[in-house]
Amino acid sequence: MQELVLTVSLLAIAAVAGAFLHVLRGLALQPRASAEADGLARLRQRILWCAGLVGVVIAVATLLPWPHAVPAGHGVVPVHVRGSVWAWELDRTSLPVGVPVVFHVTSSDVNHGFGVFDPKGRLLFQTQAMPGWVNKVAWTFTEPGRYRVLCLEYCGLVHHGMTAELEVGSTS
Amino acid sequence: MTMHTVAQRAVPALEPARLALVLGGLVFLLMMLLGFLMKASQAELVPLEPQLFYEIMTAHGIGMVGTAGLTGIAVLWHFLGRHLELDERIFWAFLGLFLSGVVAIMGGIFLGGFAAAWTFLYPLPAVSGGVWSPTVAVLYLVGLALVGVGFLLVHLECARALRAGWGGLSRALAWPLLLRGAQEPVPPPTVVAAAAVTIFNTLGLVFGAAVIVISILEILLPGVSLDPLLAKNMIYFFGHVFINATIYMAVIAVYEIIPLYTRRSWKTTRIFAGAWSVVLFFVMAVYPHHLLQDTVMPGWALVVGQVLSYGSAVPLVAVTTFGLLAYLYRSGARLDLPASLLVLGVAGWTAGVMPAWVDGIIVVNKVMHNTLWVPGHFHMYLILGQVAMVWGTLLWLARGSSGSGLGRSDRLLFGLYLLGGAGLTLGFLVAGASSVPRRWAVHDPAWTVHDLPGVFFALLILVAACGFFAKALPGLVAAGEERRA
Repeated sequence: MQELVLTVSLLAIAAVAGAFLHVLRGLALQPRASAEADGLARLRQRILWCAGLVGVVIAVATLLPWPHAVPAGHGVVPVHVRGSVWAWELDRTSLPVGVPVVFHVTSSDVNHGFGVFDPKGRLLFQTQAMPGWVNKVAWTFTEPGRYRVLCLEYCGLVHHGMTAELEVGSTS
Repeated sequence: MTMHTVAQRAVPALEPARLALVLGGLVFLLMMLLGFLMKASQAELVPLEPQLFYEIMTAHGIGMVGTAGLTGIAVLWHFLGRHLELDERIFWAFLGLFLSGVVAIMGGIFLGGFAAAWTFLYPLPAVSGGVWSPTVAVLYLVGLALVGVGFLLVHLECARALRAGWGGLSRALAWPLLLRGAQEPVPPPTVVAAAAVTIFNTLGLVFGAAVIVISILEILLPGVSLDPLLAKNMIYFFGHVFINATIYMAVIAVYEIIPLYTRRSWKTTRIFAGAWSVVLFFVMAVYPHHLLQDTVMPGWALVVGQVLSYGSAVPLVAVTTFGLLAYLYRSGARLDLPASLLVLGVAGWTAGVMPAWVDGIIVVNKVMHNTLWVPGHFHMYLILGQVAMVWGTLLWLARGSSGSGLGRSDRLLFGLYLLGGAGLTLGFLVAGASSVPRRWAVHDPAWTVHDLPGVFFALLILVAACGFFAKALPGLVAAGEERRA
């Protein structure tokens, strides 16, 4: 996911830079005729239509199914998580592979960010830990290993020390 | 109704907006130095204790946001004052409130140890783990309130002047032109932009003031409390609207100055009026994209946050960016340093919006939110966007439009700034894509590979910005003395 996001963003930034460089190279060219001005208006209209179309496609592709959906019923492993300055409290830290896990995340004091990183240090998912509210996030681990929990919402002077570990087993 | 359309009004001997821009330039340099120190600390080149790091982070954040606001509103005031009669005493009062607020905020941070980040996310100011006292938290919040009241005063004066000059905010927004296809006279782009910003920033400031007051009451009166989710909504509504307003105010300089180079006046067309009306609503409605990881938020609000996050980029790209490129193309303009920085400002803003809207997609946000991806995109549209526009305006006020192109030293400074800005922000994006968290005083050894180049690029920005300021200052001082004489 992260590589795709980086690539798309860099391409979009490059397109912006390219458009500006093209225009700056054309600064000293002869002034445009009115017919060309009409062409610019049509180009802008096309950009607007394309932007609208792309927007609809992106919205449908990324909102269906609903990204925050959590499974329920038998076979789902619940984990209750509470953040407080500056430690995580989890009711279980050994988790199975190949089974949906639903994290119920809250806080007893300030806002924290519950971010789970794979053994290679790649962020898999996150949700906010907020006093008085329980956010739910679901994940199915596919690889065994030691996963890290890091706080991703600034919560005071030991924010960077607010970590925990999850042990994901090799069988369900 | 008195119409003031294009008549240039006399500039007073000591123009407060010009003073605000000079002060803003100076504070930008100081805040850039703090940013450089943080990067150097994360790269393990400069030892900073976590407490000092987070104090500096809080000062850097609030300092940059406040200074972007100060310089943005100075640009708005300076150019709106060419079209409408504004009461200068209001801007002096704003400057007094702003500076009083800065003293309280910086005192709270560096004397009292307050380090709750500029977003003061409720209830963090009251819960420090014993690091700062309740009095210090109140001092910081009162400082914010003073600054906010100052901004509110200026916007209310702008609203008064717009109503007096154009017979109502809807006419200043060119809604008759938008809805009926005709309006006589048509408000200039500066008036349209000022009307939109005045409306949405006033609302943002009111919500910000409300959450500040409740945060203060919670500290002073046990038993008073606010729902943290409601507080988060209010803080992000205020924060999102305010930081966007800084850019939408600064872009007024582009509308006013670039036509002097292209000899093509920037006109308010129907599509221009429509784009600003869309901006007016989208800027306010899009803020839930800051709460995409709060799954207890209503689903429809998160959908609105995602969809409008993308939609907000469309009026920018299709109107301001496209408009600037169309005005420039084949214009024969010879861009000097001020004009180059203004053009860079629009380019950097547009480029920075790209990774920002991508982060506004919920599935992307799950793995990018609160990583260095976030400072990646907002530093891009601030350093290469809003701040570049402010440097361009300062230099233009000092030197005017030379029409002589870029000299050797100008080219060098511009190149350093562009290289530093692009290098730092792209480095942030790459680090974010590698899952490095933001706002961490201590970095894992594996992350410092991303920090070391950042130190170098931050230094380039600082050197170039010092050069811009040094080039602008003599001209601004001389211009001030000339006016007094």
